[in-house]
Amino acid sequence: MPPEIEVEGLRKTFGRREVLKGLSFSLERGGFLSIFGPNGAGKTTTLRVLATLLTAGAGTVRVAGHDVRDDPMPVRRTIGLISHNPMLYLDLTAQENLRFYADMYGVDDREARITELLERLELSHRRHDVVRTYSKGMRQRLAIARAILHRPRVLLLDEPHSGLDPRAVDILDGLLTEIRDEHTFVMVTHNIAKGLEWGTRLMIVENGRIAYERAAGVDPESFSAVYREHVQEGSVL
Amino acid sequence: MKQLISAPALFVGAGICLVSGLLLAFLYAPVDASSMGFSQKIFYYHAPIAETALLAFGIAFVAAIAYLRTQNPKWDRLGVVCVRLGLLFSLLVMITGMIWGKAAWDAWWAWEPRLTTFLLVCFLYIAYLVLRSVVEEEQRRATYAAVFAIIAFIDVPITFFATRFLPEGLHPVVIGTGGSGMEGSMLVSFFISMLGMTLLLVALIRRDLAVEDLKDRVADLKHSIGG
Amino acid sequence: MAILRKDLIRELRTREMLISMILFVLLAMVIFHYAFTVKEGADLTYFTGGMLWVTFIFAMLLGLNRSFAQEKDERCLDGLLLCPVDRVTIFLAKTAGNLIFLLIIQVVAVPVFTLFFVERSYVGDLLPFLVVLLLADVGICALGTLLATISMNTRSRDLLLPIIFLPLIVPVLIAATGATTLIFAEGAGFGGLLARVLFLLGFDAVFVVAAYGTYDFAIGE
Repeated sequence: MPPEIEVEGLRKTFGRREVLKGLSFSLERGGFLSIFGPNGAGKTTTLRVLATLLTAGAGTVRVAGHDVRDDPMPVRRTIGLISHNPMLYLDLTAQENLRFYADMYGVDDREARITELLERLELSHRRHDVVRTYSKGMRQRLAIARAILHRPRVLLLDEPHSGLDPRAVDILDGLLTEIRDEHTFVMVTHNIAKGLEWGTRLMIVENGRIAYERAAGVDPESFSAVYREHVQEGSVL
Repeated sequence: MKQLISAPALFVGAGICLVSGLLLAFLYAPVDASSMGFSQKIFYYHAPIAETALLAFGIAFVAAIAYLRTQNPKWDRLGVVCVRLGLLFSLLVMITGMIWGKAAWDAWWAWEPRLTTFLLVCFLYIAYLVLRSVVEEEQRRATYAAVFAIIAFIDVPITFFATRFLPEGLHPVVIGTGGSGMEGSMLVSFFISMLGMTLLLVALIRRDLAVEDLKDRVADLKHSIGG
Repeated sequence: MAILRKDLIRELRTREMLISMILFVLLAMVIFHYAFTVKEGADLTYFTGGMLWVTFIFAMLLGLNRSFAQEKDERCLDGLLLCPVDRVTIFLAKTAGNLIFLLIIQVVAVPVFTLFFVERSYVGDLLPFLVVLLLADVGICALGTLLATISMNTRSRDLLLPIIFLPLIVPVLIAATGATTLIFAEGAGFGGLLARVLFLLGFDAVFVVAAYGTYDFAIGE
């Protein structure tokens, strides 16, 4: 079976700065890739290219068998993105937000799915409240609902645990466990524990290049050492 | 570097044409029979400048489309250069137009179709330059500039037609042109001036492109040194 | 069109933008009166078209800035771009939304304007008037939406939009003003009106097509 995610020679330049200098990696279906790295290394940029939000300067990127540049539509249907910004409309209620995205993605069992997710994320009691009244943790939870509404096969997560209250972290972890099978994940994180716990593949990106890549089963101690070397003392832009 | 049509040769060629055009205009072509008399002679420069300006904007338009298709920054460079030159020529059009107006009708300004069109065209392409100045990231700047160059150029003929609606009031508009009956000798002078202007434009484009290229290379060097 | 519905619900809920725009328009009319009637009993009949359209265009500039500011601030635009929707569909939906807002404002503004400035009853010419209104609106909204998408991503987004929008919209202004003044002042004389209406139609067609072709680039990254 072909890899769910294939990246080859990915380059991206912003103005004069070359942010990605030729990344190549692949992830099999059902895999979980944890990406670490110092700030400015290009982790989020990579994620955004995978999400079709950025066009690569050079190189090929394929998600679920489709090229993200030439054929972005099918890619968009199969991915979900969770990032710092919840991407929610503040003046709409939770229900309206989810309805909107459900319509945009063409989710068939819209109402049932929305109800199911709201319950799962413990937001049902606030479904008719405007998102502006939500706390940060609640907005993140709703954002998660938004991301998995259309049952994407691939989930892209950009530091999903940051800013969440403990309850929300539990809910998120529970959710991830539930959908762990049958789904492929790419997670950018600064949280070593979570990264190691979930990842089947570990990667450190530094300065636009892959500095370290291993399949799982790594001894946490030695990984911490490598991490410290590349991320904390490594070049920070 | 294309040796045959090198920049200096172009400038020389342009110079010859322009000067001979001028001479022809003053010595060869007859004085215009209409009320404008001698001042009409400025037309030999005024009109070619106008058409050259539009030519420059047209090239920018094509360059913009090419950029959006290929993402190759050299098209963006061509676009900026052409817009700047086009703007320069447009200002000249307005100045010569105003001089002509003062000489012929004793008025520095009149809200007549051609002057106002060029006034609007100036604003339009100044807006292009302003747009470029507020986008920092190069690729995005080039993309937005290209989109705007396309829209702007489409707007130019539209604006021209629109200004003809203007001072006639609210009565039905007749889209006609003032008779351009020019005799042979006048035509010759006119065409030579026209050729001269076009050559001048091309020469300036080549020179400006080279300057831009140099600027870019300097910036690249500075950047790699860590400046 | 889900996007359209979303924008409408959002605006109707807060009514921020609408109310501000309506107030702006009404205030502008009052200001025009004081600005232009320095001479006692000055006849503003032939200024009416101009006043009306200048007001609408500037109101739209305000409104366009707002309608995109939110998308940008909450990064909702990313959410939108993630969806498997054609970029052009986004453009059409946004334009339609802006158009509806403009129409709502006009429904309020035009009667008031008529009350303030128009002496002749033009009820008989209502149909031509509405046609002109609609055509000019489409041009303003289509061009405005395209340009707002661009300007929203720049450094000085509020300031940039008028600079890039106004020169382009001048033809519409000229035609719409002429037609409207004609209707207000003299009645819909067929000849003059037809030329302008056709012009507006042409403008709309050309620019909607142009926006169609370039919107992908304007909104992407």
